Amino acid sequence: MKHLDDRPRILSVRFGVNPNSSSLGIDVTFLLFGGAAAVLSGLLLSVLLRGRHKVELHGEPKTTEPKS
Amino acid sequence: MKLRPEWSGALVSIDSPLALVSVNRAWARKLGVDDSPRWQGEDPGHLSAPTEVHLVVSRQCSAGCKSCYVDATPKGPALSLDQARAAIDRLAALGVFHIALGGGEAMELPYLFEIARYAREKGLVPNLTTAGLTLTEADAKACSVFGQINVSVDGVGEAYRKARGFDGFPRAVRALELLRKHCRRVGINFVVSRTSYDAMVDVVKLGKSLGLDEVELLRFKPAGRGLATFADENLTDAQARAFFPLVRKLTFRHRIRLKLDCSFAPMVFWHRPSLPVARFFGVVGCVGGDQLASVMPDGAVTGCSFGGPNEASIFDERAVNQAMDTGFEAFRGYVARAPEPCKSCEYLSLCRGGCRVVAKAAGDWWQPDPGCPRVVEHRRVSGGNR
Repeated sequence: MKHLDDRPRILSVRFGVNPNSSSLGIDVTFLLFGGAAAVLSGLLLSVLLRGRHKVELHGEPKTTEPKS
Repeated sequence: MKLRPEWSGALVSIDSPLALVSVNRAWARKLGVDDSPRWQGEDPGHLSAPTEVHLVVSRQCSAGCKSCYVDATPKGPALSLDQARAAIDRLAALGVFHIALGGGEAMELPYLFEIARYAREKGLVPNLTTAGLTLTEADAKACSVFGQINVSVDGVGEAYRKARGFDGFPRAVRALELLRKHCRRVGINFVVSRTSYDAMVDVVKLGKSLGLDEVELLRFKPAGRGLATFADENLTDAQARAFFPLVRKLTFRHRIRLKLDCSFAPMVFWHRPSLPVARFFGVVGCVGGDQLASVMPDGAVTGCSFGGPNEASIFDERAVNQAMDTGFEAFRGYVARAPEPCKSCEYLSLCRGGCRVVAKAAGDWWQPDPGCPRVVEHRRVSGGNR
């Protein structure tokens, strides 16, 4: 689990939304540009996340979850 | 910016650019999450709740498409407005980020926009798929409540009529033009079947010429009325192999975003794209009961709109939570018990064996997707039928 805690990392990203009401839409555009697209996207997203200070927790803890 | 803790860290929803980002715990801490009950224990192997849910608001539709996957009819069942609100309350409590409204023809529901506005109030992004056949300018304006709208267009001109059984192409294009005028993100859904395969190029060109944001390519599924025609409409092996190279060519030539539905994952991974890049950009196969779930017009929660067991009623909080924690075995369980040739495939963790619904139509839910070129090759070499 070290990789989850050692330094801030972006694990994955999905751009856009999926209006298709029957199945998950997978965006293969970035796949076509290879590793460079992943590196650039990771850098861009890191900058964007650093600049955001107003974070809202989404959802409520489920009744079946362990208490912290 | 919204954040939902997960075992690996957190999911972060950002608006500009519109994206869902998975970050590790160190990033989540930087964003203000000191600790989370979801960080305790072993990796559950799935998310705490779906990121998106397909809300099948009705099975009502007067179009009568010959291969409708929900077998919609003019008098099909529908969620009432109160039921839809209750479903949205539950999904919001779970931390679902997006809902895709569909049917049936969701636009035929008189309270569709009320459902969408309610979803917005609860912090969910509502999206919509429609055939657009009756869409007016007033409807198009009201559609700005949606994050994105896709109009189903299964061919240009005569190809549309051939695919759907009636001539709705001019009305679908009119709908796209109106939506483009009033809405931020608009696209096309195109069902790729054996007979519509060659029409894909024209539909992509149409999307480009109308200035749309994307064309989403959907695999023909053996569900609803599509079950009866699947044998004739399922892609041939040659089409399945040529599909991803064609997508690549069309993307570069027409400079428009092409999205594929999750059931096309085997056709993508057959061409051996970079595994880390695919993982980073969320290129995955069947994620029913994990990233994705569906709510049917009777309130049943399933892993996928096309099939799978009824896991809970969306109106039963306890049952829904239980299903999210320990249910959806029919979807979540495939990777652990995958037979060959999935078992030894390096893409299994992403592809997840292709489409379960297609596998079931071929005879066995737990067998690999028979449309996967690797599976076709394996069966040819082993000389069996499975």
